[in-house]
Amino acid sequence: MHPWRLLSIPLLVGLFVALPVYWAYPDDLSSWRAVGIVLGWAGSGLLLASLLLMLREVRLASWLGGIERMTGWHHWTGLAGYLLLLLHPLALAAAAWIESPPLAWQLLSPVAQNWPVWVGWAALLFLMGGLCTTFASRLRYPLWRWLHSLLGMGVLVGFVHVLLLGIDAGAVFAILAALLMLVWRLIRVDAGAAAKPYVVRGVRRVAEAMVEITLAPLVRGMPAEAGQFVLVAFFRGPRYRGCGEYHPFTISAIDKDQQFRIGVKALGDCTRRMQALEPGVEARVQGPFGNFLLERPAKPQLWVAGGIGITPFLACLRNARVEHATRLLYLYRSEADAAFRDELETLAATHTGFSLEVRATGDAIPDLALILPGADELAGHECYLCGPPGLLDAVGHLLQLRGVPAAQIHFERFDFR
Amino acid sequence: MTRKLFIYSTLVFWIVVTGLAMTSVFWIPEKQDLAEAGEKIIPPAELAGHATPENCWMAIRGAVHDVSAYIPEHPSRPDIVLPWCGKESTEAYETKMKGRPHTPYADELLAKYRIGMLGKAP
Repeated sequence: MHPWRLLSIPLLVGLFVALPVYWAYPDDLSSWRAVGIVLGWAGSGLLLASLLLMLREVRLASWLGGIERMTGWHHWTGLAGYLLLLLHPLALAAAAWIESPPLAWQLLSPVAQNWPVWVGWAALLFLMGGLCTTFASRLRYPLWRWLHSLLGMGVLVGFVHVLLLGIDAGAVFAILAALLMLVWRLIRVDAGAAAKPYVVRGVRRVAEAMVEITLAPLVRGMPAEAGQFVLVAFFRGPRYRGCGEYHPFTISAIDKDQQFRIGVKALGDCTRRMQALEPGVEARVQGPFGNFLLERPAKPQLWVAGGIGITPFLACLRNARVEHATRLLYLYRSEADAAFRDELETLAATHTGFSLEVRATGDAIPDLALILPGADELAGHECYLCGPPGLLDAVGHLLQLRGVPAAQIHFERFDFR
Repeated sequence: MTRKLFIYSTLVFWIVVTGLAMTSVFWIPEKQDLAEAGEKIIPPAELAGHATPENCWMAIRGAVHDVSAYIPEHPSRPDIVLPWCGKESTEAYETKMKGRPHTPYADELLAKYRIGMLGKAP
């Protein structure tokens, strides 16, 4: 990744924290009170940065190094902001404690207090509730998504707390910025205003619980490249009713007339319903995102695919010849899950410099020490991994143990919750 | 890891908050303070009766102040200050513009308007 892209999010987050802290930096205050004020503004800045990082604009994602990276930082800035805002009232209470211990509780107590304190507590409880549900990974996605939005409400209520304290300029600016980003996300991403209309042209079953969908643009298509991914929502068809949620899918082929294909594996309620998709179903597509496999250096390569993770590699092979010695290790649970295996074997037979190794692993992660190439064979290789998070972690760890530098290990996770 | 961080930090937060609440309940003020003060104890009900711009009392840091004469001179907008007449106003006093408390000068000024100590509600 280009150094500027690597630095983009840390710089942005630093700016979001430094500006409000500089603006509100307290002079001539007791140390605990000053700490409390700085924590409050730094936490608020982190939450605003977290809101910005949940946007899904193609250009913004490209500047910031991709949606996956943005999502990771969205989580960390959100949690860090929450931690600082937990410490904010405690530091103020510590300042009051020095004067008189009961005064510390007087400052925090929501009983017989005033609107700024009540609203401050409400904001903290919204953030607490929102984060509780964020970490409840077993919740169904639609419910999880709505409960997760409590966090956005917490941010807004938090800035109302600042407004009620009489800090008009800072609070109004922060409320407007938070509202802008929340409404932007709601309209452009969740309501699909940034999406383009497509229609399902074809559906092909490629494994027991996986179909390959061909999508054709209804107006002008998008300039996607093999290896990128898109967010797609399916709606109504002659006999099909989609769930209308945007899910990420890797492009598995780019066809003529700006049509493209995606692989859909039944992993949840919505993708299970997509197994019954039929031609004519309306779809909306956002993207394309990601640069996995796009900027490959001129070096020999090891590709490791787990299950549905085969799609970016397949797109690459379908749309261009490999230019450097490439070895693809394709792992799947059982023969019934071996999507595209016949096509990959044909490609291996016709592509010079491309070799394929396939393996049915069962339900557990296989003994990778036996499957992955040894340290000597890996020397000078760039490694590209795509598949379930557990497999990626295990493969990445073993590759590093075998001497592959972290900078030469590239992966795609698709964990956007 | 983030999940554990969230759970443990939230638990510690509530333990500290509960501890502060308990301290307030069980705190026995030093008798010396009251004896030295020798001031009138003003119950919250009496404080609440002085809630107009012309007759404005405020309880700040446990002491009651009659700030009626000072209200016209106060630098901020009247609608920021007047809602606190007749009330416990420590938090508002400690969190003016940008969350800053008043200056030591203001503390000294405030002391001039002190008329007693805030008593407990019956």
